[in-house]
Parts: sequence; structure tokens; C-alpha cells
Amino acid sequence: MLEAFNFRVILEYMPLFLKCFMATLWLSGAGLLGSLMAGTLACAMRISNSRALSGAASVYIESIRSTPLLAQIYFFYFGLPSLGIRMTEEMTGVIALTLNSGAYTAEILRAGFQSIPFGQVEAGVSSGLNYFQRMRYIILPQALGVTIPPMLGQAIVLVKDSALLSLISITELTRAGQIMTSERFMPAEGFLTTAVFYLIIYFVLKSIAGWSEKRLIFREGR
Amino acid sequence: MIIFREVHKWFGKLHVLNDINLEVGAGEVLVLCGPSGSGKSTLIRCINRLEPIQKGELIVDGMKVHDHRTNMRKLRAEIGFVFQQFNLYPHMTALQNVALAPTKVRKTSKREAMDLGRQVLGKVGLGDKIDSYPAQLSGGQQQRVAIARGLCMRPKIMLFDEPTSALDPEMINEVLEVMKDLAGEGMTMVVVTHEMGFAREVAHRVAIMDMGQVIEIAPPEEFFSNPKNERTRLFLSKILRH
Amino acid sequence: MWTYYLTELAHSLPFFLKGLWMTIAVSGISLAGGTAIGFAWGILRTRKNRFIDHLIGAWVDLIRGTPFLVQVFIVFFILPEAGVHLEAFPAAVLALTNLGACFICEIVAAGIRSVPWGQKEAATASGLTELQQLRYVVMPQAMKTILPPLVGQYVLLIKDSSVVSAIGVMDVTRAGWLTVQRVPQGLLVFGLVGILYFIICYPLIHLSNFLERKMGGGTTSF
Repeated sequence: MLEAFNFRVILEYMPLFLKCFMATLWLSGAGLLGSLMAGTLACAMRISNSRALSGAASVYIESIRSTPLLAQIYFFYFGLPSLGIRMTEEMTGVIALTLNSGAYTAEILRAGFQSIPFGQVEAGVSSGLNYFQRMRYIILPQALGVTIPPMLGQAIVLVKDSALLSLISITELTRAGQIMTSERFMPAEGFLTTAVFYLIIYFVLKSIAGWSEKRLIFREGR
Repeated sequence: MIIFREVHKWFGKLHVLNDINLEVGAGEVLVLCGPSGSGKSTLIRCINRLEPIQKGELIVDGMKVHDHRTNMRKLRAEIGFVFQQFNLYPHMTALQNVALAPTKVRKTSKREAMDLGRQVLGKVGLGDKIDSYPAQLSGGQQQRVAIARGLCMRPKIMLFDEPTSALDPEMINEVLEVMKDLAGEGMTMVVVTHEMGFAREVAHRVAIMDMGQVIEIAPPEEFFSNPKNERTRLFLSKILRH
Repeated sequence: MWTYYLTELAHSLPFFLKGLWMTIAVSGISLAGGTAIGFAWGILRTRKNRFIDHLIGAWVDLIRGTPFLVQVFIVFFILPEAGVHLEAFPAAVLALTNLGACFICEIVAAGIRSVPWGQKEAATASGLTELQQLRYVVMPQAMKTILPPLVGQYVLLIKDSSVVSAIGVMDVTRAGWLTVQRVPQGLLVFGLVGILYFIICYPLIHLSNFLERKMGGGTTSF
């Protein structure tokens, strides 16, 4: 099989792959940003004292966690037009990724907040700090330390999840592989190149995760 | 029984055992002491090859421990090891803990192993705790179960690595009593400990290690009243203060 | 209009249930196979042989660093070039089993490493063989750390099984995809798909949480 591996064709398609590589990056990035916003909102609702808000957030989170991303993507892709909402596939894709990742992000943030010992808050209160000051100087810095590693994990998950967007005709890395398969009947060259690109992103993100963990351990040591 | 001949061991660059020459005869009780980091724990752990040696010869019960072709399983069945941290199996009762090795290694029948287990646990004073789990036992009781676990294999040698160091003071004696009885019965024992009272009463010889070497070894009367080495004197003065 | 769609949907219910059965079949076989292989790999990873550890580790990294969809395409499209022709169902099971094995391998290895080192030493000192140590001393204790994330992983695999619909396996997601071509009500159709997955996944998620509490806590986030 390997003798027939056609590197020339890969080079020929490299512009397409690079374009799709960028598309994957920006789709995942948009999803990550969106999920941070959605997740923060959902988390705030979840830990609020209002039963209605907390309940609504729970319903959202549990529905997302108990259903597959692909079904959610199809839900929006096929469902939004029937409500009269027309948008590009990319927008639909980003919305699906945002809402999916947002639920997991909400749980990550919630775990982060709850991991801060209550004694710290009490210490803040007794020194006279107000709510915002306590947030800014005591709670948020520590919450950040606890949440950055799993958030990097979420980033990795988002990149892999974005591959499913190829199934609703979005031009990204996996689609590049599909195009090479259908145009040139070379699935090996197509999908293995796709795999290599994903692995590059994966190892870069993993290194960042490793590096940030070292820095964070340093901080706790003080 | 146990012969160390020009034994060396390194942990990376650290020369943790430096030219050890030591012999322990059958039925002898050797107490090993010294400051922390002296290598005494490492030395005793080499005897049943929990730690391998890099140079020299180590012969236990006629078998060459330094030779990696030696069947250590057979040899380990003849050696009982008691750890500082007890290391009892938390998911098994005391009886199951002591009966596991006899059934699996010596292939004794379960019933025989259980009977033996009950007997030995009774001997260490825990006859009424045979169905208790480690979490339900005090430190002293757990360590006695650990000793029983070693004894159920009917070993030729019993090794003790700081058996009382992890115990609250009031429980140290119950463990030492069991060890004294064992010594009285003629068991070959090597004990790493700081309990000098035990050494004085029961040891045939006391050895002190420092920086990977055995710097002095003598019968207790000589060792405690007339140490020859300056470092021995220093060490004794520090620990015999109380 | 709506009644038409609802009745059409009701008529399609048997079709969906067949799809559900297919989802259960694909997931079930893959879970069983993945668990068996995953345990074997996990145990192998924790032994003294560094080479095997790194070999399995490299494979696991490869699988964790690429999207499952791409892996499915590779099995379905590229293996035929190497002479292995698989139909959709076996290809799906192969890919999903492999995915499961890789993740379960990591869970098992972590569980084994969580057993205090002294336990292994005590077992060694009594003369037990490696297999006996594993069976009587290490694994019983490791299972406490393994069980909750293991059940969580099962949920993830059931959700990932939706991806195999892309190569034509007639599971619940594919049933939805085919139905929505005739009944263009994406919200209803994929709402139904979601409910079907929810029925399976939601109880399992709570089983995992329950196990986590019962086994003494730790962090499981998925």
C-alpha cells in the first residue's frame, strides 16, 4: 500500500488542506469562545439561588450531556430552517458547538468555584472586602487556576468535535479528506493527511496544557 | 543464613550501600540501627530482593539473591517481611490477610490455611479479631496481624523494617512483646529499629550503619556500654537521651 | 400540517426503534470488547516493561488526538486498500471498540497506579506471582477508582456511536437523518432522536455519579 502512496497529490491539494486547517481552527476557536460565554452564563444560573434559573440551567446541561453532539448538530441544521431561521452552515455549526461545549464548560466552572474553600471567603469578608473585591482578588484567581487545565481539555475536545461539521457540508479538515476521496479516489492520502493535521493541533494543545500546569503548580507552592 | 559479601548498591549517584560484609546465623537476632539515610532500610529490603544489589554477593538460605536467575518466589516464601506501614490488604479480614499467601504460594488447602491463620492470630493475641477488617483495628493490632501474616508462611527468617515507627507510643509494647516471644523461640530475625530496649533484651548482636556502611557490630552488652567507634557513641548519646 | 407531521413521525416509530436496537448493538459489542481489551492494555501499561508501556501509550495518543469520525473513515475507506474489506457494521464496531479500549486503558492504568505501592510490596514479599498480586490484591482495590469513570466512559461511547451513522450504519441518528428527508421537521425528528438517547444515557450518568459517591469520591468530569 505504501508504495502507491501519492505524495504529489497531497502537495497538489495542500492549499485546500491549509484552507481547511484554518477553518477548523477558527470554527473550534469560535466554539471555545462561545462556550465560555454560554458556560459562564449557565454556571451562574446553576449556582444562583433562584430555583427557576437553576432548574432551567440543569435542564440545559443534562439534555446536552445525555445526547450525542451529532444529533444536536442535525437538530439545529434541520430544525432551524423549519422555524424560518436561515443561516449559513458555519453559523449553525458554531451554534451547535457552542451550546454543546457550553454545558460542559458550565460544569467545569462550577467545580472550580466549589473547590475554593469557604474559609477563604470568610477571611475576605472579615478583612472588609466587598463582593467584587473578594471575587477579583480571592475567588477568581484561584478558580482560574483550577479551571484552565480542564478548559484546555475542552479545547482539544472542540477541535475533534468540529470534525462532525463536515457532515453538514462545512469545509473543514475532515471535509478536505472527504473531497480527496470523492475527487481522486485516494482515501488513504486524504484521511491520513487530515489525521496528521489534527495530531499537530493535539500535540500543540497538549504541550500548552503541560506547560500551564507547571506554571500553576508553581503558584500554589507560594 | 544470610551472607552479605562486598555488597554495593547505588540509587543513581547515591552510594547507598558501600561494601557491606555481614553474616547472620540461623536463630540469630540482629538489630540494625543508625541515623536516617544510613541505608539500613535498604539493606534489609535487599535480603528478599525488594531492592536489587548491583555489586557483590548476597546469599540467603543458600540461594544467591544477587543472581537474577534465582527463583525469588520460592525464597520469599521462606522469608516473612513486616513493613513500617503494615501494608495489610484493606479489602480482606485479618484472617483472609494471613491466609492468602499460604493458599496461593504454598498451595495449602483453604481450610488448613484458615486453621493455621486462626492459630497464629491467637498467638499474637488477636484471636477475637480474625474477622475484623484492618480499618477496624488499631495500629498495634494491625502490625500484629502483619507479623502473623508473615508467620503463617512458616518462614525461616523474619525481617522487620522499623515495625514500631508508625505506631503511637502506647501500642509499641504489644508489638515488641510478640517480637520478643518470636526471638525466644529461636527465629532468625533482622530488625531495623530505634527501640534500644528491645535490642538490649533480645538481640544477639547490634549493628549500626551510617552513610551506607556498617560502622560497628557487637553483642548488646559491648555495644551499649563500650562502643568503639566515635560515631556510634554520638548516635547512642542522641537516642538514649530519653 | 402539524398533525400530518406528528402522525408521520408516529408511523416512523418502529423505524426509530430498529435504529435504537442497532445503536444498542453497536455500542454493546464495542463496550464489551473495549472493556476486555482496555483492561488488558491498562494492566500491560503498568508493568515493568517500559517498551510496551510506550507502545500502547503512543497508540492511545494517536486515537485521542484524532476525531472519531476520521478514525471511522480510515477503517471504512482505507483498510480496503490494504486488503481488509469491511462492511459498515463491522467497521463501526471495530473503530468504536478501539476507541473504547484506548480510553478504558487509561482509566484502568490510573486505577492501578492509585493503589498504594506498599500493597504490591507486601504481596511480592509473600511470594505471590504478578498475576496473583493483580487478582487478589491490586485489582480489588483499583476497582474503586476505576468503576465510576468506567461507567462514564460507557456513556461517552454510546454517544460516539452516533458518528457511525456517517458510513451508513442504521442507528438512531441515521434513522433520524433519513426520516427528516421525508418529514422536514428537524426539531420534532431530532427531538425524538434526542429523547431516545436520553433514555439510555441519563440513567447511566447518574449511575456513574452514584458510584463515585459510594466509592469515596474523586474527580470525574466528562
